[in-house]
Amino acid sequence: MSVYITSTGRFLPGPAIHVEDVEKVLGAVHGKPSSLRVQIQKANKIQTRHYAIDENQQTTHSNTEMATRAAEECLDRAFVGREKVGMLAVASTQGDLPAPGMASMVQAELDLPEIEILTTHGICSSSIMALKAAWNSMRLEEHDAALVLSSELASRLLKKQRYEAATTSTFAAKRIDFSTEFLRWMLSDGAGALLLQNKPAPKGLSLRIDWIRGFSHAHALPTCMSVGSAGRPEDARTWQDYDTYAEAEQDGALLLRQDVRLLDNLMRMGVDGYLRLVEEGVSKPSDVDHFLCHYSSHHFRNKILEMLNKAGVGIPEEKWWTNLYTRGNTGCASLFIMLDEFLRTEELSVKEGDRVLCFVPESGRFNTTYVHLTVVSQ
Amino acid sequence: MKNGEIAIEGGSNTSAEEGVPEGIVLNEHAQVCLQQLLRVWLGFERDLSKVPLLRRIDLGTYTAEDHQVFLRNIRQQVIEGSRWITRTASSFDRDHAEIRSTIISHAVDEHRDYEMLEKDYVASGGELNDILSMERNIGSEALHGFLMHQSSQPNPIDLLGAMWIIEGLGEKMATSWSERIQELTGLGEDSTRFMAYHGHNDSEHMERFYATLDSVCVNDVAVNRIVKTAKVVARLYRLQLEEMEHDLK
Repeated sequence: MSVYITSTGRFLPGPAIHVEDVEKVLGAVHGKPSSLRVQIQKANKIQTRHYAIDENQQTTHSNTEMATRAAEECLDRAFVGREKVGMLAVASTQGDLPAPGMASMVQAELDLPEIEILTTHGICSSSIMALKAAWNSMRLEEHDAALVLSSELASRLLKKQRYEAATTSTFAAKRIDFSTEFLRWMLSDGAGALLLQNKPAPKGLSLRIDWIRGFSHAHALPTCMSVGSAGRPEDARTWQDYDTYAEAEQDGALLLRQDVRLLDNLMRMGVDGYLRLVEEGVSKPSDVDHFLCHYSSHHFRNKILEMLNKAGVGIPEEKWWTNLYTRGNTGCASLFIMLDEFLRTEELSVKEGDRVLCFVPESGRFNTTYVHLTVVSQ
Repeated sequence: MKNGEIAIEGGSNTSAEEGVPEGIVLNEHAQVCLQQLLRVWLGFERDLSKVPLLRRIDLGTYTAEDHQVFLRNIRQQVIEGSRWITRTASSFDRDHAEIRSTIISHAVDEHRDYEMLEKDYVASGGELNDILSMERNIGSEALHGFLMHQSSQPNPIDLLGAMWIIEGLGEKMATSWSERIQELTGLGEDSTRFMAYHGHNDSEHMERFYATLDSVCVNDVAVNRIVKTAKVVARLYRLQLEEMEHDLK
């Protein structure tokens, strides 16, 4: 049975924050402007982004609330009543509560009675895990409609107070601790929503899901992006192994870290996965009409482009589409936020029969995921 | 190399990722072969992260002692490298004279590289006699045995697959490992000269590689032979690297 994305929605909290104002929102650690901010922002080229915290670092929208708002927009635009939704799959790097799963909290907010729920946990690729599970449930004909949400509230991890409290951490010890500061200038907040149905929408364009594939390389490669350890190779403790959570925080075990030295592996594995799909005959670069690639930084766009070209499976740059530069890198929410705006703003260039390839790599421990869609209308 | 520089510049490409230089247009079979070789390389490179000694480079716990173990164990392969390459050259008949010339000049470039490696060993705190008396490890035996056997076959074009892996690793040592090892161990530049020099030389070798691939990889049989040998060499090379762990005191 074919499954279609028939409606989309998104929620971006608060006003668009200009690149120069980012530190006003996240706060200057100990009142001192960051010496890395400009350098990192110059490389990622993100011009505006949104935060669910205000300039006093107080939360303005919860993660649950953002996911719910995106879902409401998606359902309001749908040609099917919300009572048809039989499944709710929600992806996030970290829900508001460590337990229960975020899908429970969002279901309550949406007031969807007696549905099947799924919470996926990971980083960027968790949205693709949720999408695949919902797609498969639909293919088994268990539901007529499924709602898939992805939402991120990274700024709570990135506000100045987190770094100020980490008094015995690598961040406090080093003059520049790149691995703990890198993502501070990369990530921001937002949520996206997709509605899956067993038939295309009666009006407008829908996206048929052709295939979804993922290749994870955690068995071979070390952890690259994480929260939960102090970032010292000789210290195996994770945050819950400390006597108190306060000690874990002091030691920097609750800071978000990225080992940038390992990042090249992600691009290599991303290209390897695509070469694999080409080899299997699943994808052909010349058949791709639109390429929606989730990359965290403009810098990596060039690297991916270059590597695909050199491997002989390049997709011409004019087929690439992204809104990273205006909506920010919202982790697992990025692709859904991208799909929503892509369909809404590109009506002149998107036409029936167009093939859309999406690529969502996750640096956490190197998971690379691919989605193939075809534009259809009823 | 500082963290910041990596984030902005994103590290350097290894030769396997550098792609075909401008001016060389590969035939259809060579293009397919190159894509498959690239996948073999990417898998090999990823799996190097599972080799305990090399994982310590990733994790930042690699020591000067690790470096000595690495150099001590890699020397035999460097010495034997020029032997299988020259034998490969002699196994090509008169119809392959161009390839023979290319391979001979490649062998000339590298056949005394091990002397540089011995100096690096001493500079990193090792005793010269220890490296001179070091036997081939189990993986080196297997790799050497395979390469000598293949290079003794008539017109062994499949050894392009072996060169692909070995040259790719040379470039990786230069671009990803040598500075990082200095940073982690506090050793000076004089202890990683072999790694750094080898990489520099290898990019020229890659240009010759693409031209040769285009001339010999002209059918499916050739593609399969080259790719299979690349896979065997990748596996045995990793075995050689894994075996280094047993040499740690």
